[in-house]
Amino acid sequence: MRFDCKEIPHYKVPTVTTDPIVLSDLLAELALRQLPCGGWAALASSSQPAIEPTCYSALALDSVPAGDIERTQDFLLRTQNPNGSWPVFPADDQDGGWVTSLAVMALRDVVSAIPARLQGFQWLMNCAGKESNWFWKWKFRTADRHVRFDPDKYGWPWFPDTVSWVVPTAFAVLALSQLPCSCDGLERAAPRIDCGIQMLFDRACPSGGWNAGNGVVYGTALAPHPDDTAIALLALSDRGPDTIVQNGVQYLERVAPTLTAPWSLAWTILALTAHRRPTTSLSSSLVALPGLSIIEDTSTLAVVCLALDHQRALEAFGVTL
Amino acid sequence: MSLTRRDFLIGSAALAAGTTVTAPFLLPKYRSDQRSKRSRVAILHAQQYSQQLDQMVLAGLRLFPIDLRGKTVVLKPNLVDYIPGNAINTHPLLVLAAAESFRRLGAKSVLVAEGPGHQRDTQLVLSQSGYAQALRDERIRFVDLNRDQLIRTPLRASYTGMRDLWLPRTVLETDFLVSMPKIKTHHWSGVTLSMKNMFGVVPGARYGWPKNILHWKGIQESILDLCSTVPIHFVIADGIVAMEGNGPLNGNARPLGTIVLANDPVAADATCARLMGFEPSRIVHIREGSRFLGNSAPELLEQVGETVNAPTTAFEVVPEFQYLRAR
Repeated sequence: MRFDCKEIPHYKVPTVTTDPIVLSDLLAELALRQLPCGGWAALASSSQPAIEPTCYSALALDSVPAGDIERTQDFLLRTQNPNGSWPVFPADDQDGGWVTSLAVMALRDVVSAIPARLQGFQWLMNCAGKESNWFWKWKFRTADRHVRFDPDKYGWPWFPDTVSWVVPTAFAVLALSQLPCSCDGLERAAPRIDCGIQMLFDRACPSGGWNAGNGVVYGTALAPHPDDTAIALLALSDRGPDTIVQNGVQYLERVAPTLTAPWSLAWTILALTAHRRPTTSLSSSLVALPGLSIIEDTSTLAVVCLALDHQRALEAFGVTL
Repeated sequence: MSLTRRDFLIGSAALAAGTTVTAPFLLPKYRSDQRSKRSRVAILHAQQYSQQLDQMVLAGLRLFPIDLRGKTVVLKPNLVDYIPGNAINTHPLLVLAAAESFRRLGAKSVLVAEGPGHQRDTQLVLSQSGYAQALRDERIRFVDLNRDQLIRTPLRASYTGMRDLWLPRTVLETDFLVSMPKIKTHHWSGVTLSMKNMFGVVPGARYGWPKNILHWKGIQESILDLCSTVPIHFVIADGIVAMEGNGPLNGNARPLGTIVLANDPVAADATCARLMGFEPSRIVHIREGSRFLGNSAPELLEQVGETVNAPTTAFEVVPEFQYLRAR
């Protein structure tokens, strides 16, 4: 069983970035924001640790000496729910779909986390959008047809007992694609991943790209969002030739030069790189954005760091070029 | 006729079962009656978004007996998403006018807070909608409620069956919360006004994008639970250019030339509904809200400013909500 990705020889080798000075400054700032418990809060001014910013920070800081990455890993292992999922933050009692995917990806290098990751994978395998249930499938087919979608193609919800959405589905596809083995029921992963991918195709916006997950409502085509599109495209990086994927890539290429918000621009860089599109000028635009190091939102700061080190970041998300 | 012990037990069991079944329908679903005896509503006419809104809003606020000296004020606009040409969001000039007016009335601090429900990238919505520049120019702080520090908060009503919600500290700790909706129709809830606007305080970082749990628990029910738990102290509704049809994102602009101010969210929403040509009592959260959150009956509303004139043509609405239109 090959589990530990440290076996990949170049994994820890620093990669060339567009601007290593900026990146090192941002990583230092990110490391400074680590809380004593080992996690990160959503905002620089907050002391309430949360799983999502912690996972992005762990992925961003994985290859540098800054920060205490072992403390981060302990924090993630400590906060896992007994059923294998992760909550949104430690005091919460709710299973979080997308944060579970992010946590199993953030722990990919940790040998001691193998059981926790397997539990997380199992939870993801058993989690599905509410439309996967026959009753809701029937309701969406007969009585509730204002949102156009095929309930046979279901992905993952933000939380159990709600329907599938694009971002949690894309993260689950990325996470389950990193499965280390086909044991303990995980052999069902391939068809489940495929179902999630079909859901992403089904929920695409008619004009190309994705929003949260409603392509057409009341007969009106809704507009795509750059970040949702980029995250979906990361999950579909091996489906490049598909027309829906191409439309998504073209939408991102059109909108990318206009983006001035670091979160969307950073995800766009990662997605376009995954689809082998040039991103040098976008990286320059990202670096040139004012006040990067004082971004209040820690997830954004971490994703900016990942975008500026995109080759390694894509490996962390399990995307191979 | 004597009552045996067996009869007594059977009777007691039947009574207990009957009470269990009927109680949820008979007992109120709210903990306390938050209504005042009368509510005040002001309707101001404004044909366009301009710098003159400052004076107009200040004059409108002075029609209300509010003392803001030393208090913190949070303005909660409706900032959902940005689609060029669509009248989706509360206009930033109205928000700036409100901020300036509250400052002049002695507020200790005024900040703008919102948690967009469709778009995860709040910074992108702020930038595209013109808010980022406007707030920067006027040195007004913005708090992203999707990512604010959260406090588990017991709900003060039980329409959804949820016991609590994690809610942002900024909203829970403010002295004076101002809901600033855009007057719009909504394809799931009929209308989106000051009460529905409170969906924006539910944090996406905890509940996802969109905040799907609120839809599954019932939109009308969630509005009632939220508004009973996070009291709205004042309403400034943007109806200068409203939205009709397939709102809240893809409807058509409907110039209404109106700003509605009120010290009661139910009164504000009932008045907005009348301005839209709707019958307020047909909107579930307004009708139910008038039992404990505020007043909707015209005789309980003290109308100042302009009078309410129903439009010659009611707002367009999706077929499922045609029944809202007053006849």
